Amino acid sequence: MKRRQFLAVSTIFSTFLLIKPVKLLAEWSAKNFQQCSIDQAFMNALGTREIVTSDTITIRVPSVATDSSTVPVEVYSSLKGDQLYLFVEKNFVPLVFKCSLQGNAIPWFSLNIKMKESSALYAVVREGGKFFMASVHVEISSQAC
Amino acid sequence: MSSSIRILASEENGIVSVKVIIPHPNESGTRKNEQGFVVPAYFVREGSVTINGDSLFVIELGPSVSKDPFLQFRFTGKKGDVLKVVFLDNHGGLFEAETIVQQSQREFPKFQPSNSVCLNYYN
Repeated sequence: MKRRQFLAVSTIFSTFLLIKPVKLLAEWSAKNFQQCSIDQAFMNALGTREIVTSDTITIRVPSVATDSSTVPVEVYSSLKGDQLYLFVEKNFVPLVFKCSLQGNAIPWFSLNIKMKESSALYAVVREGGKFFMASVHVEISSQAC
Repeated sequence: MSSSIRILASEENGIVSVKVIIPHPNESGTRKNEQGFVVPAYFVREGSVTINGDSLFVIELGPSVSKDPFLQFRFTGKKGDVLKVVFLDNHGGLFEAETIVQQSQREFPKFQPSNSVCLNYYN
């Protein structure tokens, strides 16, 4: 009897251990990545809508993208930023990624993204608590989303 | 879950360029299939990168990243640094990879003075 009890208790405990979620790395926030307008996305992610336009941020992207499901985007900033954001204005979820840089990281990122339709791209860099932004317009020639 | 991430890190003039490809369907949760049903969201949503055990950056990704996310980034480092990347999708799937930074294999063509006579057409 005792052994059976022990087995039952141990199975219950082990299932609890298995159910426990994997440790979060970046504490993904659902609030930042909800479906909303670009203004609301700025408010959710940055807490402000007034962002200074700066020419220290460069976005390299094909001006006409043939395949909207893979648009290669390259973001570079000469600022020593500690956070980097990328927004697509007309996607369901405008925020593409949020990156918190530490140590020796250089604010240079390249990623293939999906775009619903022709729209503006915004790259935002935070340096010393202030936000700087650059934007570029991308034309989609064929829809493949 | 799977550890078939492809990763490449090469150093050139003190700057390490890293390329990471994660094989993943990356469904945004807004696409409809042929029957008109919405395909449930299934995408890589967070990641962290460490160099020799020190954190380099943490990234949060949204659903508008392409299928098989292809991420490139740079940092100041040297040959022999141990780079570790960990990615997590919204179903709890874990993707890990570790690599050692290599010297860039790219070869630049060396300048060779040619013996041919350079004609000056503007005379």
